Amino acid sequence: MNLMISLSKYLPYIFEGSLWSLGLVLGGLGIGFIIGVMFSLIQVYGSSPLRRLISLYIWFFRGTPLIVQLFLFHWSVFPVLGIKSIPLITSITVLGLRSGAYQSQIFRGAIGSIDEKQMLAAKAIGMDDWDAISSIVLPQALRIALPQISNEYSIILKDSAICFILGVMELMTRAKYTAIATGIALIPYLIAGLIYIGLTYIGAKLFDLLYLKMMIPGSVEG
Amino acid sequence: MRNYLGETSKATIFRGKFSEPPPAGKEVVIVLGFDASYPPFTSINEAGEAEGFDIDVMEWIAKKYGWRLVFKPWDWSTIVTALENGDIDVIASGMTITPERASRKIWFSIPYYSYIHEIVVRADENRSLEEILNSGQPIAVQIGSTAEKWADKLLKEGYRFKKLCLGSYVEALEALLDERAVAYITDSAFLNPHLSKNPELKTKIKVLATLGAPETYGIATRPEDVWLREKINEALSELMNSPEWNELLKKWHLD
Repeated sequence: MNLMISLSKYLPYIFEGSLWSLGLVLGGLGIGFIIGVMFSLIQVYGSSPLRRLISLYIWFFRGTPLIVQLFLFHWSVFPVLGIKSIPLITSITVLGLRSGAYQSQIFRGAIGSIDEKQMLAAKAIGMDDWDAISSIVLPQALRIALPQISNEYSIILKDSAICFILGVMELMTRAKYTAIATGIALIPYLIAGLIYIGLTYIGAKLFDLLYLKMMIPGSVEG
Repeated sequence: MRNYLGETSKATIFRGKFSEPPPAGKEVVIVLGFDASYPPFTSINEAGEAEGFDIDVMEWIAKKYGWRLVFKPWDWSTIVTALENGDIDVIASGMTITPERASRKIWFSIPYYSYIHEIVVRADENRSLEEILNSGQPIAVQIGSTAEKWADKLLKEGYRFKKLCLGSYVEALEALLDERAVAYITDSAFLNPHLSKNPELKTKIKVLATLGAPETYGIATRPEDVWLREKINEALSELMNSPEWNELLKKWHLD
């Protein structure tokens, strides 16, 4: 029972970690969204050398482990560029660049699912390419992609635990330290697990709400 | 140019953050990197603050000079790279001084704590060390630790036992207690404080033998931070010669 009391004292410490985790996730998801939209458009409508460059980028970020990317950026890329980055900024940047690679594929698929004839129709009424993409294709594609972005959120949430390797004090790390300090292994990790489930649930519900709010009545779901 | 100590002379040395004394009036901020999973030397308390023997030692040193300490928990596997790259300025975290470490990228302070490796068995064990090491049965160690290195060394010398690698010293001890292992290799820096905290264990296990010579912990700094290392050494010797040193050891059950 004594152990439980000493463990309960660590609860605020563990909970504080969820703020760090959320910061990592929201930062990463946001940066990833901007990159994902831009790159998906280039991949669908861009010139061939640009497309090849983007697919190289995507291969790199989808093909290497997060931990390798974190080390590479924190200890090679940023120092070479003369940027003195703190671990939190490196982690958010890398999570964002990585999520951008995945999100670009989500948006590419969503754009592909929109009937090509819509582009032709838009041009027929005198819209130029950019007008047609920004006011006809993208608004639909973003809606279609939402459920998958929700999924990306839950993946990146768990990925963020790896950022500890650069000293970012997120949830899992705090669970680990608590387990070691108290000598109780199972419960701190279980608490962290419950917080992750809670964050995933809240996030998924918010995305659902957003989806319902944005849905175009009568449109075919993607 | 290198002098007889292997130190690069001042003329050619790369000027680091703490190579020279800082200008008067400028606050010295030292980022202390530590592995928070190594009690009683370094861990985290309920408030999320660093605590432990090494933390107290560094705080004593910082207070003496009026430095400000920033505590940065860091994963042990990358802590040396973090020191090299300036994410942290010193490592005080029960770090064993080894030739590989000391020659390359980190230079240590004077040693401040020494420990020895031990082979521990259950209290009712009546076989000799030789018999245990040739029993063909499992001996538990913490994976990646200096204890595992000892197991490898003994196996290389031709002893016949099975090496059982577990995640921590605590788990290795558990394996011994519930008879999954006939012995376990640990070090006194872990075992002694652990026994003080859990006195009921004292009747259940016994130290069968010690292995090799004592090893020591030092505070790690970057090679070029000459001034910082000198200051740490000066303070360490003062602290170790004062009565406070024994109080600190007692506080963390390291005496």
